[in-house]
Amino acid sequence: MNVNFNNRDPVYLQIVRYFKEKIAVGELMPGEEIPSRRELANRMKVNPNTAQRAYKEMEEQGLIYTEKNHPSKITTDRKTLGKVRDELLVEAVDMFVTSVRSINVPVEELLDLVRVKYTANDDKEA
Amino acid sequence: MIEVKAVEKKFGRKKILKGVSFTANKGEITCLIGINGVGKTTILNAIMALTPINKGQILIDGKQIDKNTFEKITFIPDAITMLPHMTIAEAMEFMNDFYTCWNQKRATELLGFFRLNPSDRIASLSKGNTAKVNLLLGLALDVDYVLMDEPFSGIDMFSREEIANVFTSHLIENRGVIITTHEIGDIEHLIDKVVLLDDGMVTKEFSAEEVRENEGKSVIDVMREVYQR
Repeated sequence: MNVNFNNRDPVYLQIVRYFKEKIAVGELMPGEEIPSRRELANRMKVNPNTAQRAYKEMEEQGLIYTEKNHPSKITTDRKTLGKVRDELLVEAVDMFVTSVRSINVPVEELLDLVRVKYTANDDKEA
Repeated sequence: MIEVKAVEKKFGRKKILKGVSFTANKGEITCLIGINGVGKTTILNAIMALTPINKGQILIDGKQIDKNTFEKITFIPDAITMLPHMTIAEAMEFMNDFYTCWNQKRATELLGFFRLNPSDRIASLSKGNTAKVNLLLGLALDVDYVLMDEPFSGIDMFSREEIANVFTSHLIENRGVIITTHEIGDIEHLIDKVVLLDDGMVTKEFSAEEVRENEGKSVIDVMREVYQR
């Protein structure tokens, strides 16, 4: 659980994001138990109050749930899980669009290039 | 809660503290930041009533420090106060004899946490390990508040990391901690509250997470604004 936190975003939101990424790529499965607040603070080297706040935020967003006297677990709600993936995807595309827009390339040309690069990466990984 | 209210302190004619006010909550880590000589240690000494103040008031859980509140709070100075020929075990025994609130179980746990050998003599320890013993002796007390003077100063990166790990562990949980430092880099993510001192006054008091969330600034960004005006 080595996270490189940046100094300018709230740490609790960076923790929430870390969990969303793990959920999106399937490293954290629906219903999977997650560390206690104390353990998370210790492993991520953050203030226990901050870990607490991150868990509260994730509970409010429906990402995790806690039954009495049990460790918190990743939600099994498909809708919420799908939303996490969409959210991260849209965010990444937004960043991409912002950075290429200044180059003023026609969208068709851009998409061709994206297609080539994307599948080239697939080949490499395969 | 520790409340420092409009505290003034003179050394001779020189006014070191010119009306310092801030609060430090239980269950939170409050960091006093300021350049050397700004009066950080004086503030800690004043909270412990180790030095008389000229004006103002200091309250611990709403009460002035006395025999009873004194048992609630401990001060870990920036250098170890034990005799150098003592072993770590002897220093622990000394603390046990001296303080009713000494917690042997926690002391033993801290020994393991810091990977210290109790039969080592204090004089033989590295600077980093001396700092750890110093912290151990203070943290093993069952108190509500811990004041630490420059716990990270002058020690290597790995020892600093080990000491920082204390702050994220149950060894600190539910206590109110005040630490002084002039290097914030290592511990930016660990602290709840920041109190910036300059010229004997508090120039800014803020929550580290709130300044990140509301202003998109790091603690260091705010320090630059305050100190490089």
